[in-house]
Amino acid sequence: MAIEIPKSLDQLPTTRPRYVGRGIRRVEDVGLLTGRVEFVDDVVLPRMLHCAILRSPLPHARITGVDTQAAEALEGVTAVVTGEDARRWSLPAQSSPEGWGTHCIAGDKVHYVGEPVAAVAASSRRVAEDALELIEVDYEPFEAVADPFEAMKPESPRVLDAQETNVMLDRVFTWGDVDGAFADAAHVFQEKFRWNRLGANPTETFGCISEWDPMSLDLTIHGSIQSPGMFGLGRAATFGLPSNKVNIISHPHGGSFGGKGGTRGCDISCLLSRKVGGRPVKWIEDRGEYLLSGGGQAWDRHYEVALALDAQGIVTGLKVGLVDDLGATGEAYGAISAAKPLAAFTGPYTIPVAQYDLKLVATNKLPCGPYRGMGPPPHFFVLEQMMDIAARSLGEDPAEFRRKNFIPADQFPYTIPSGNEYDSGNYGEVLDQVLALSDYSAMRAAQAEARAEGRLVGVGVASAIEPGVFDWNAYAIVGMPGTGVPEGATVNIDILGNATVRVGFSLEGQGQYTLITQLVADYFGYEPEDVRVVQLDTQSAPPSFGPGGSRLGVAITGAVLGACERIREKMARVVAVLMQSEAENIEFMDGKFMLKGAPGAEMTVAEVAGTMLARSDLLPPDIDPRPEATHVWTAAGRTPADEQGRAKSYLTAAHAVHIVQVEIDAETGMVEIQRYCLADDCGTRLNPDTVEGQTEGSVVQGIGAALLEEYVYDEGAQPLTTSFMDYLMPTVFDAPKIEMVAVVTPSPFTPLGAKGCGEGAIHTTPAAVMCAINDALAPLGTSAREVPASPMRLWKLISEARNRASDESNDD
Amino acid sequence: MKPAPFEYVAPSTISGVLEILGQNDPDEVKLMAGGQSLMPLLNMRLSRPALVIDLGKVADLDFIRETDEGVVIGAMTSKRAVEDSELILREHPLLWESTVAIGHPPIRNRGTVGGSMAQADPASEYPAVALVLGAELVAVSARGERTIPADDFFVTFLTTCLEPDEVLTEIRIPRLAPRSGWAFQEVARRHGDFAIVGATATLRLEAGVVVDPRIAVFGVADRALRFSAAESLLTGQAASDEMIDEVASQAAAAVEDPLEDAHASADYRRHLAGVLVGRVLREAAVRAAEASTGA
Amino acid sequence: MASESPQQGGIRLKVRVNGEHHESVVDPRMNLADYLREELRLTATHVGCEHGVCGICNVLVDGQAVRSCLMLAVQVDGKEVRTVEGLAEGGKLHPIQEAFIEEHGLQCGFCTGGFMMALCELFDRNPSPSEAEIKEVVGGQICRCTGYNAILRSAQNAAAKMSASRS
Repeated sequence: MAIEIPKSLDQLPTTRPRYVGRGIRRVEDVGLLTGRVEFVDDVVLPRMLHCAILRSPLPHARITGVDTQAAEALEGVTAVVTGEDARRWSLPAQSSPEGWGTHCIAGDKVHYVGEPVAAVAASSRRVAEDALELIEVDYEPFEAVADPFEAMKPESPRVLDAQETNVMLDRVFTWGDVDGAFADAAHVFQEKFRWNRLGANPTETFGCISEWDPMSLDLTIHGSIQSPGMFGLGRAATFGLPSNKVNIISHPHGGSFGGKGGTRGCDISCLLSRKVGGRPVKWIEDRGEYLLSGGGQAWDRHYEVALALDAQGIVTGLKVGLVDDLGATGEAYGAISAAKPLAAFTGPYTIPVAQYDLKLVATNKLPCGPYRGMGPPPHFFVLEQMMDIAARSLGEDPAEFRRKNFIPADQFPYTIPSGNEYDSGNYGEVLDQVLALSDYSAMRAAQAEARAEGRLVGVGVASAIEPGVFDWNAYAIVGMPGTGVPEGATVNIDILGNATVRVGFSLEGQGQYTLITQLVADYFGYEPEDVRVVQLDTQSAPPSFGPGGSRLGVAITGAVLGACERIREKMARVVAVLMQSEAENIEFMDGKFMLKGAPGAEMTVAEVAGTMLARSDLLPPDIDPRPEATHVWTAAGRTPADEQGRAKSYLTAAHAVHIVQVEIDAETGMVEIQRYCLADDCGTRLNPDTVEGQTEGSVVQGIGAALLEEYVYDEGAQPLTTSFMDYLMPTVFDAPKIEMVAVVTPSPFTPLGAKGCGEGAIHTTPAAVMCAINDALAPLGTSAREVPASPMRLWKLISEARNRASDESNDD
Repeated sequence: MKPAPFEYVAPSTISGVLEILGQNDPDEVKLMAGGQSLMPLLNMRLSRPALVIDLGKVADLDFIRETDEGVVIGAMTSKRAVEDSELILREHPLLWESTVAIGHPPIRNRGTVGGSMAQADPASEYPAVALVLGAELVAVSARGERTIPADDFFVTFLTTCLEPDEVLTEIRIPRLAPRSGWAFQEVARRHGDFAIVGATATLRLEAGVVVDPRIAVFGVADRALRFSAAESLLTGQAASDEMIDEVASQAAAAVEDPLEDAHASADYRRHLAGVLVGRVLREAAVRAAEASTGA
Repeated sequence: MASESPQQGGIRLKVRVNGEHHESVVDPRMNLADYLREELRLTATHVGCEHGVCGICNVLVDGQAVRSCLMLAVQVDGKEVRTVEGLAEGGKLHPIQEAFIEEHGLQCGFCTGGFMMALCELFDRNPSPSEAEIKEVVGGQICRCTGYNAILRSAQNAAAKMSASRS
């Protein structure tokens, strides 16, 4: 029987939702705050060994010899593995695009600094690191390439021996008559931008404990793993195992933001485990390893962008050229980040035609991986700078210029040129709200006064879309096959009526277990204490992808409500039998099943569950007596991508407008964020505290992107930012007070009308901060085109502009 | 990220320290004060001593004492103790202000005054402050005790004039002359980070002209730098904006081989040195003027 | 006990941790964080960077917050150590823990212990700290999830709770 998942809060079987739609004490917090939650490094297994990995100091070299004898002889060392073991027991990593993966330990050649060349299993991490110092590796250095434009030249050193070129992908996607739009344009603006490599840096690095039995080949991995199901499939592919041989036990983890990575280290610990007879081998990536060669380095991009406008200042065409430096291999799925902008290519605007000239290039740097936002944040940075360039040139206010280009509220669902469909929105209202919150005209007046004093004060207005609830079809252009991302939940009511929900993903920080608790409590008329959420390993859990692509809040709501609906349906049949009626005469509200037209004829959920479990003899034979159901939710209506990559991919489109005021110290180039205001619309807010927490966190990550964070490599591809002294993440002193207001336009397509919101403000913040900086710089006739806007870069721009100005006045 | 093996000893007397120093190859030994610079180097195996001598249990190195000339601070006195000292806040506000600019509270709880001086990190605050305040550093060895002016103490990157058998025991800081103005400023990417560049200055104003200016910067070169030529230029002049600009640009020009790293080019560092020297001189002049009128 | 002559094989150490007495023999190179986690199995002290920047591994040593990655285990000989495990007492959460729950001051919770221990020292020293004093302490720590706004609110809430319970 088909079930109906409630599309809005008033469709829940409750007079008034008591928990969904508001913040409650998080069920996750007590365990986290008392240190009782078990992170993977807290786990000690019997006979466990510790792994340390020897990494290449060179970006590109032939390995001519590896001598592990002395390391093997060190007291406390049980095994050493090298590239030879990797080739014997594993396959090259799967990659996107296909054919760009390598083995987890380098064989003949290293391709980037930090690539594993050998690893040790020993009695402790200390001894394992001692042993690394005894391994001798002979290298024959090659010339390395760090610049993607150099790498594209035929004479460039080739990164992968197996490939004829360093160009992983070179395609132009055209959606509509772009040439016509530019030919007919009244105004065309064109500019180049640089977004430097940055990354996730969750406070907990990756860690795992692997047990690979050499006889049965059963593989069990404990780890801080964001997507346990996917991770298990990946390991099965790498080791040539049937997928049911691999069991993943994900532990709660200290954030991820897409940047947990860790597959190479995990694969190495598996090889070591097999070599030591299946003993558990723990590998905890340390921060040095994370910064040198861990997950989540992302978005090393060179852009060339053009915007066409008609005489009324309406944008009529967009061309984006992207040279994306993905590093040495395609194993970490950095390419997906170049594909995801298709889900929101033209942002919140009515731009009717667009073109994407995309080049994915290999260099001798760490392979790029995912990071929160997965690609659109740099895309919106360039789009929003172009919008400002156009507005400034036409003498229009940036807020009003955006407004007149917004997709009107009555046009939803709206299909953008790159193929995705936006579900709903009210962009003008979002803009109005943030204009009011910020007192925009007063801000502009204060700015005018500051400018009159010669101060570099700027106000930035930026608007972006957060695609929510991803689908694989969004990444078809970089070779990801398939459609559909399932999320399952099992809801069980025990004999006393208490509920247990079983899911396949672990705690990561977004409060999903609290959300599940809220949903079940409101659905069954329970209190949060009556609901418990437990996580299962991949061999036991319902199908699950877990958090990622701003999906889990929506997806798990669908799964949990679907399972609740199934239980309700089953219980209604039971109640009908017990009350000698038909199921359609049984109503369910506020936790009670009631026989229509028979006041007082009612049973609570607990009573029904108790009866089902204790008296299955009373039930019709076709009713499974367990008050339990599993529902697996996937987004409906997703379409395969066409030859130009167009698909209905991400299910929801959240929207935000941010207004930021900055002041630049002209002498030092330091930027102070003086005000930060935003309005956003992510549909129904299932837990507003959680949404605000995600928003605040992603604003500050966005500020890090705009001002601080950068993985620096020198011209020879040596990484220079390998400690937290050099990779700079924001602290409280970099985090402004964030003023927020919410607009709620429910999605017509999702459970309860919620939209994906987990990646959040990082879509808009870097753009907004850079718009503000460029507004501050405008009187000097210069602008910042490179992210992050470090003080040195800004000082250089300012002093060059002033030197130009004084040269010009000298010329007069 | 685990240290290589080492032996460890924590003597309770300075003579115990000196004895162990004498018995070991100095290249194989590291003295540990608060450990806030040494521990990261050990963890990363960038420093690999065979023996760590922990000064943490040595008696009588943790004190702040007022003397007729100023203040004497034991080498193992924590930055937190300096920050918490009413005496320092009242009598040596420049030292206080530079102390709270160092790292973060837990770092200051462990990190010591002597440790920072002996580490001689070019981006560290204390060496520059020692230069402008005319501090003296006291070292002992089996050969006896010697007193080293700050001007002679800091040699280059992570290098002081201390001999391998010497241990820094105390820092003597003379009181600022009455009616002195002072200032301390730094530019760091984030609050509490090592500065890209910092500057500090002291001066007095007498009859409208600058007397005894002392100017130092840090983070710019291989060690904290004092600018004697710029100080001479300013001496006897009115602290006008023009004069200060000239002194600042002369100071900036006097930096040889500014440092260069991922955050700041040599040009940017030289430029910031000029900016900050200008700023601290202005601020110090304002304080000196207030002190003169207030007195 | 730390000795007067160099030792490598293992050094005897006596320490009180959260009021409990422990005696161990440790490798001199073992840092305090690893000692707490590996030897005493007190795993609420998390490790974020092992070079003193992130502040996640903060513990109190004789009442002062320190980075436990920047201290050797042997250096706490004879001292009193307090960790996150020592915050809640008698089955009751510490006011700082309560405040973090109320203000949504944590998301993944991995860094939170470091913030709480640093704040614990602050409130012990100064029952009614100013906003700037709170910010100085929070500013020594890295959190990647919250954006700090909620942590500041948590700290202010905790300060209010603690000064209310004192008066």
